[in-house]
Amino acid sequence: MRKLRSAVLILPAAAIIFLFVVLPYVIVLVMSFRTPGAGGAPYGEGFGLKGYTQFFSEGYYAMSLPQTMLLGMVTTLACLALAYPVALHIATASRRWRAILYGIVLSPLLVGIVVRSYGWTILLGNSGVINATLIQMGLIQRPLPLMYNNFGVVLALAHVFLPFMVLPLLSALQAMDPAVAQAARSLGARRFTIFRRVTFPVSMPGVQAGCILVFVLAISSYVTPALVGGMRVKTTTLLVVDALIDQFQWPFGSAMALTLAAAAGLVVFVFARLTRMEWK
Amino acid sequence: MQIVTPLLTLVRVSVYIFLIAPIAVVVLASFNAGNFLTFPPQGLSLRWFWTFLQNDVFIDAILYSAVLAACATAVSLVVGTMAALYFVRHARREAELVRIGVLLPLILPEILTAIALLFFFYEIGIGTEHKIALFTGHVLMTLPFVFLNAVTSLQSRDDAAELAARTLGASRYTAFRRITLPLIAPGVATGSVFAFIISFDTFGISFILKGSGSAPLPIQLYDYLRFNFTPEAAAVSTVSIIMTVLLLGLADLVFGKK
Repeated sequence: MRKLRSAVLILPAAAIIFLFVVLPYVIVLVMSFRTPGAGGAPYGEGFGLKGYTQFFSEGYYAMSLPQTMLLGMVTTLACLALAYPVALHIATASRRWRAILYGIVLSPLLVGIVVRSYGWTILLGNSGVINATLIQMGLIQRPLPLMYNNFGVVLALAHVFLPFMVLPLLSALQAMDPAVAQAARSLGARRFTIFRRVTFPVSMPGVQAGCILVFVLAISSYVTPALVGGMRVKTTTLLVVDALIDQFQWPFGSAMALTLAAAAGLVVFVFARLTRMEWK
Repeated sequence: MQIVTPLLTLVRVSVYIFLIAPIAVVVLASFNAGNFLTFPPQGLSLRWFWTFLQNDVFIDAILYSAVLAACATAVSLVVGTMAALYFVRHARREAELVRIGVLLPLILPEILTAIALLFFFYEIGIGTEHKIALFTGHVLMTLPFVFLNAVTSLQSRDDAAELAARTLGASRYTAFRRITLPLIAPGVATGSVFAFIISFDTFGISFILKGSGSAPLPIQLYDYLRFNFTPEAAAVSTVSIIMTVLLLGLADLVFGKK
């Protein structure tokens, strides 16, 4: 009876998650094996592998997959390189500074992703802030191609997802006992040696969590590549939305989305293996 | 060795600037007096805020987003807090399953969840009609935030007070209403404010499930930005940033640590 009464508490959440997350994902899986629809219908009656074969046989679509993976990996590395000094700084800052810096790191999360991507288009555009300044200073004659290419997309993505790298790094670094580094110091280790032998290994779980999070978020993001890439950078996610919403090809779009998810899973698995990640 | 420290400081400061720059530039651009987003700005003015105030599309979108976020947060508030109570107080072996389950909408790619929901609502014959799919999506997006905050505030209080009330004869419901609820209220309220902001800003769910008719603010903004380059979009963005800051400030004032 007690058990039954407490089960009422979890019932609404369980129902919502099952009905609106688990079941819909099963529908996507089933959808990916349906045959394409004819005459405007989003899908046909039968089942088959047409969705998958279409994806891998058309270079325009198939080639987007490795490109998207590469884009995600470069974004993740950029994020890690930018986030690490900041996380280290916050972890060792005084209590008052820590609150302020924490606020700066989290502030992008509270501004919509559309607004943040828009900010990057203002900065990187041909007549944008950076190009205009450089031209006025006489350093360049023609605007640098900062936007509508992979460079701009990676930069904007790294910005958008930086907090997701800083937070896990920070929690790993804060769990570290400062006495360990001090001990290494008193035993004569140089600063870089302490970083390489003590700090970095200790922060490894944070590095792994942050990298996986940012990678998955980056390859599945839509607005940032669409606005900053100006439809000239075709990630698989953009093609998925295009196939599903604009072309109404549900089996093909689903197969493409699941192939992307499987590829992302593979990359995450290899990464976890290479970094000897301990699954909890 | 001597140059390492200033170099590190330079790197840190650049990253902080990198974090703030795209947001600051939007706010600055909204005060541009020119017809286009040129740099440096052709004088300062509030004309684009005025234009925005007279543009029903954006005003409607802001109101629509606010109502949607409030309704979705209200549902998540109840469902998420109940789930958190179960997770902290009653869950045993299934605790990890409960946690991962409720956090699924946060873990799974938003755009894929949106597509999955779209299929689901077409299968049951509703499609994007009556905003039901859109509303459901927003409940999913906000649920993890309410849950996480409620769990944190429940875990940081021991339930001795509630047990004492029970011993003194209070019913379970009374003990919860008079003791536990007031104790966890600030944490849950903070979670709800976050949930509201997430719903207000979320893109993927709204983009896929919006249906016909009026659309939430991020979608209107995105549609506008694809074809227009006037500073009006910057004015709209600035207003939404100010609204977020005000909301957070208000929440801190009301629920913050005294």
